[in-house]
Amino acid sequence: MSPRSWIALFLLAGGASLALAQEPPSKPRPVGTAVPATDGKVWGALVYAVDDAADLTGSQAAAPKVVGDLAARLGKAFPQRHFEILGDHTQDVFREYESWVVPSADLFLKVDSKGPAEGGGVALHLQFWQEDQVLVKTDAVLRPESPLFIAGPKWRKGRLLFVLQLLESKE
Amino acid sequence: MKTPPEDHEWMRWMDGEMTPAESAAFEKRLESDPDLRAEVEQARHLTDLLRAEMPADMQVPHADFFNSQIQVRIAQESDSSRRPVAEGGWLRQLFRSVASPWGFAAAAALVALLVVMRPAADSRSADSTWVTSSYTPNPSVTAHTYHSTAAGATVLELDGLPEIPAEKKVAGLRVDHAQQDRGGQVASFHDATGTPLLVMSLDAQGRPHPWSPRSR
Repeated sequence: MSPRSWIALFLLAGGASLALAQEPPSKPRPVGTAVPATDGKVWGALVYAVDDAADLTGSQAAAPKVVGDLAARLGKAFPQRHFEILGDHTQDVFREYESWVVPSADLFLKVDSKGPAEGGGVALHLQFWQEDQVLVKTDAVLRPESPLFIAGPKWRKGRLLFVLQLLESKE
Repeated sequence: MKTPPEDHEWMRWMDGEMTPAESAAFEKRLESDPDLRAEVEQARHLTDLLRAEMPADMQVPHADFFNSQIQVRIAQESDSSRRPVAEGGWLRQLFRSVASPWGFAAAAALVALLVVMRPAADSRSADSTWVTSSYTPNPSVTAHTYHSTAAGATVLELDGLPEIPAEKKVAGLRVDHAQQDRGGQVASFHDATGTPLLVMSLDAQGRPHPWSPRSR
């Protein structure tokens, strides 16, 4: 092989190595912004609660393991006996900006951080929306392993519940 | 001539309190002073009338009459001196009863009973989520919160919400991540493959308007 061929092969190998060393494409960041600071991460879910299992919609969504046995906990707080997750959404809680937890286009939550809470958890200002109407505005301290259950409107033969769980918080 | 107010020797004379010499001197004056004599006669007449209506010797109701009357008067005066404090100070009376050993024990037992009987659903530990305030813009909707110890969760109940019509399809979304524009006026929600599930825009009042890209 001629020296020119060796140089071409070397350049080709170097270029290939550079290409392979690139990081895999990460999840899309907020368009036009640097990564914003966060005070934690929350998991929100829209749950359908009914008395008769035959009235469930057939959704197969499941809660993350960190939430534990969500159905058992809901059963101890509400009179219904069967619960299914219609939708869920894990969302960062931004330190400076409000964010939305949207497990459904019909019922969703606006989350605004008020900073880390004394003793652990995150202080939040929450707004529970149904389409373009705010149902309740509330201030809460969300702590790990202690979810917030919002009892929403009745629908068909059951009731819609919103679950908000703190997955992690910044101390 | 009117007997001067200070000249009441006739009273001592009528009561027999004068010495023999004083009595003799007074009787001599009585003979020479008609006004004094008239006054003494008037007093004597009044005395006779009183004696005629009342017995000379009045029996005391019982041997210790005066002592008992004095004691009754003392009791009356001490009651009247206590009455202003009792009428205006029910709280002070309550404090006095609690401050006593038996009162304190009774109060402590009552507090312990109330703590034991407190509903478990209302108990909240330092590790629990809790709601500090809530506000429902719709006056027909009320919010109340409680902590369910059994569920290990805090419940925010909304009463008075209108029911969602049965024919409306309430669909859930499995959102993996969200994106927001620089101004925060538009947010998009994507599944794990990056497919946009929902886009939400905010109007001038900050109200959200969600819409599904798949419907367009």
